[in-house]
Amino acid sequence: MEGSIPIKESKIWDVAAFSIEKGCKLCIHSESGGGKSSLLSFIYGNRADYVGKILFNRTNIKDFTIPEWCEIRRRHIALLPQEMRLFPELTVLDNIQLKNNLSGWKTVKEIEGMLTDLGVADKLNTPVAKLSIGQQQRVAIVRTLCQPFDFIFLDEPVSHLDETNNKIVAELVDSEAKKNNAGIITTSVGNHLLLDSPQFVNL
Amino acid sequence: MKKIRSGIAILLKKNISKGQLTGYSLANIIGLTVILSGILFYCDSRHHQTDQDQFFSDDYIVVSKKVTGVNLDPVNFSEEEIKDLSSQPWVKNIGRFTTADFSVNATINMGGRGMSSFLFFESVPDDFFDSKPASWGFDPSSNFVPIVLNKDYLALYNFGFAIPQGLPQISEDIISTIPLKLYVTGKNGKSLVMNAGVVGFSSRLNTIAVPQDFMEWANANFSNDYKEETARLIIKIDKLNPSDSEKYIRDNNLEIAGDKETDSKISRFMGIVSGVVTATGLVICLLSLFILILSIFLLLQKSRPMLRNLILLGYSPNQAARFYEETVIKINACITIVSVGLSFLCRLIWKDSLDSLGLGNGNVLFMLGAALIYFIVVDVINVVIIRNHLNKIWNLG
Repeated sequence: MEGSIPIKESKIWDVAAFSIEKGCKLCIHSESGGGKSSLLSFIYGNRADYVGKILFNRTNIKDFTIPEWCEIRRRHIALLPQEMRLFPELTVLDNIQLKNNLSGWKTVKEIEGMLTDLGVADKLNTPVAKLSIGQQQRVAIVRTLCQPFDFIFLDEPVSHLDETNNKIVAELVDSEAKKNNAGIITTSVGNHLLLDSPQFVNL
Repeated sequence: MKKIRSGIAILLKKNISKGQLTGYSLANIIGLTVILSGILFYCDSRHHQTDQDQFFSDDYIVVSKKVTGVNLDPVNFSEEEIKDLSSQPWVKNIGRFTTADFSVNATINMGGRGMSSFLFFESVPDDFFDSKPASWGFDPSSNFVPIVLNKDYLALYNFGFAIPQGLPQISEDIISTIPLKLYVTGKNGKSLVMNAGVVGFSSRLNTIAVPQDFMEWANANFSNDYKEETARLIIKIDKLNPSDSEKYIRDNNLEIAGDKETDSKISRFMGIVSGVVTATGLVICLLSLFILILSIFLLLQKSRPMLRNLILLGYSPNQAARFYEETVIKINACITIVSVGLSFLCRLIWKDSLDSLGLGNGNVLFMLGAALIYFIVVDVINVVIIRNHLNKIWNLG
């Protein structure tokens, strides 16, 4: 991957090529405004305003068609955006099902189990608008896990969570990634996801 | 698939502006009802209900040359004159009246009292009949000649002849059941007795009409030297140039039989009224279509972040578009059905008036066809707009 925006001491933008493999545990760290979210948006096909190339299995992602991108987003890459992108007018369950119906990956019972682990099971039928940011973050994490994936990208996933919840999220993400033999890529400005022995990289 | 659709539907329903869609629906129902009523009125005003009026529509006129003084030779049209007439822009089609070159004596037997009279026959090509009686046509082996009688002749008999002579007045239905015997005598000395019957009445065609094939057969069999000469012509006129036709007829000293000019003017007036009504409806519909397009644009614009989020979850632009498309199609289906129903209700307004003119009950298929075309066209426009917009959201992010 070749980045166009030079960031001081960068290990991704400034290097000629940077690659990630399935099974990796990567924590990308930079100061606020360092381009973490931009990088994830580029990889997820959400933005294309960069120079250089991003390759999936040697295919330039700019060559993917709409159906190919849809398939990638449903089966291969899961993304938790920093702004979460939940639908405030829908309930917690409706929000999660919006993704799960598309992938058909989890049963309602499994979804309830994950919400219970994260302490928000009682909010199942509450509109997201009425949840705190921390609760919304946990709901968004569950929604992100409702699909098969080769890589999961979590953009500052625990920025609003305490250490206990951070550990629960880390365990949940780790166990789902293991099931999929997938790579985990998270970002943080300091409060990083407490994964077991992750590799830290400065952006 | 059903789950996916219902999931999106729950989300998008919350973002649809019911006020806008209600406004659009009402405007469009009004517009479409006016259009469809206009078409229905046009069809009704063009459709003659009664049998005798079905033979010739208002588009036809019968012309002949003026007879001045005493003419020993028949006043006929020359081939050049017919050719000149055919080439006029207001003439769509022209047909010749064929006259009989033989004499016919008809007798009827009414309860033992026989009556007989000499008759004259004319024929016009079958193409000039809008709707022919069921038994129209002639087969020499059947020995039966169907006749269409001018309605005025029966009125003349009933009111001018029967009352002073103490004879019974008879209706069209009765006269149609009376068998006639024709004694056909040719100039070549041949004669034949044939059966005949009145199968219909025309208030437009001022003659005693028989099928063209009978006339050709009889002229060939009962005349030695039959020479086809044309004294009267029937013309299908192009109503877009009616003033030209009047000028030509005046300049060439021709006569029009019956009240065709008046009929034509009434028909033209009806056409103009229907046209104005339909055009008004079209304007209203175009405006309401504009409102819909605007509503859809505003709705899509308002929903842009939400649609963007759906796409980021893995929904394709088409999946996200489907809810909007289904909504629009459902609304348009309701609008079309309600408008068709309202148009039929509007029909009640003019039904009695047209009935009294012998008009009405026109074919509703044109109106239904127009409704279907509207439904398809509006849906296609909307689907294209929605898909374009969603593809734009995909491309621009």
